[in-house]
Amino acid sequence: MKKLLPVIITVLLLAIMYVLFIWQPGDSSMQGAVPGLSGSGLPSGGDFTLQSLDGPVALKDYRGKVVLIYFGYTMCPDICPTSLSMMAGALAQLKPEQLQQVQGLFISVDPQRDTLQRLDEYTRYFHPAIKGLTDKPERIAELAKRYGAVYQKVVLQSATDYVVDHSSETYVVDPQGRLVERLPHGTLPEQILAAIRKYLQDK
Amino acid sequence: MKKLQYFILLSLTLLLTAQVSADSVAGDVVRVVDPYIRAVPPGQKISASFLQLENSSDQPHTVVTASSPAAEVVELHSHIHENGMMKMRRVMKITIPAKGKTVLQPGGLHIMLINLKENLKLNQKVSLTLEFADGSKKTITAPVRKIQMPGMMKKMSL
Repeated sequence: MKKLLPVIITVLLLAIMYVLFIWQPGDSSMQGAVPGLSGSGLPSGGDFTLQSLDGPVALKDYRGKVVLIYFGYTMCPDICPTSLSMMAGALAQLKPEQLQQVQGLFISVDPQRDTLQRLDEYTRYFHPAIKGLTDKPERIAELAKRYGAVYQKVVLQSATDYVVDHSSETYVVDPQGRLVERLPHGTLPEQILAAIRKYLQDK
Repeated sequence: MKKLQYFILLSLTLLLTAQVSADSVAGDVVRVVDPYIRAVPPGQKISASFLQLENSSDQPHTVVTASSPAAEVVELHSHIHENGMMKMRRVMKITIPAKGKTVLQPGGLHIMLINLKENLKLNQKVSLTLEFADGSKKTITAPVRKIQMPGMMKKMSL
C-alpha cells in the first residue's frame, strides 16, 4: 500500500491538471453570446441610451471622448471594485485637459438592487469621471450582447442572497463611438492609461 | 519503590512521545501576514478581507469559518474564472499546506464581510477571528485599505 500511494497521488494530480487546464466543459452557450464579431475579433458595440441619476445618458453624448465601459454591479464584493479602482487609477494620471476627453461608464447588470442613487454614490467614490448607468433588464441584456459582456444571476447558499457571475472586461470606445478594444480583467492602470492615450484626440 | 520509578519513567516517556507526535495547534502555527480589508464606498454593505496564511508546521491546517464584530456575517469565498465569467462562490474551507502558504487576494480567495454594521473608514482597524478545523482560533486586526494589486506601483495605491 505504501508503494501504491505515490502512484495514486500522481494519477490524481494528473486528473486534476487535466480538469483544470485541458478539459472544456460542454456548456459553452454563454461563450456563443458574442454576436457580430468584426474582422478585428471585436463585438459590434454601438450606441445606446440608459438611465442615470441625472437623467438619460446616451453614448452619443460622448462623441469626441474616449469612453471606458464596464459591466458590473455594486454588490460585487471584489471583481467590480478592483476593476473600477484600476480604471480610476488610470484616470487619476491624466492631465485635467485630457480628463475632459475621457468618460468612464459603469453599467449595472443588477437593476433589481442597484438604484440610480446607489449607482451614483458607488461610482463617484472611485472617480468623479465614472458614471453609473442602468435600465430595464432586457435593455441591459441587449446591450451586453452587443459589447460581448456575459452575466448570470446565481443564488448561493450564502448571506449574499444572490450574486451575479459576470465577465470583467473594460471596453474602450474611441471618440467616434466605435468599440476599439476590450481590456481583460486585471488590466493595470498603466495599461488602461496607454489604451486611453492611444485614442485621445488631443494628446 | 522500584515499581514506582519504573512507572514514572514510563509515564514520562509516554508523555514525551505524545508531545512529539501531537498535532500542532493551527492557531499557534499559522501566521497571518499583511491582512487588510478593502475600503468600500459609503453605504456599501459588503467588503472583503485579503491576507496571507503561512503554516510553519509539518501538517496542513484548514480555516473553516471566520467572524468579525464589523459585520453580521463573515463567509469564505473564492472566484472561478469560467465561460468568460468571474464566478464568486462560497467555500467551506481554506487549506494552508504543511510548511506552505495560501494567499487570499483580489480575484481569488477572500474572506467576505456581509452586512457591515457601519461604514468602514480608511485606516480603521477591524478585528477578524479565524477559526480552524481543529477548533483553535486566531484573532487579528486588519486595517481598512484601498486595494493594492501585485505589479501596481506603490504610489498608485488605490
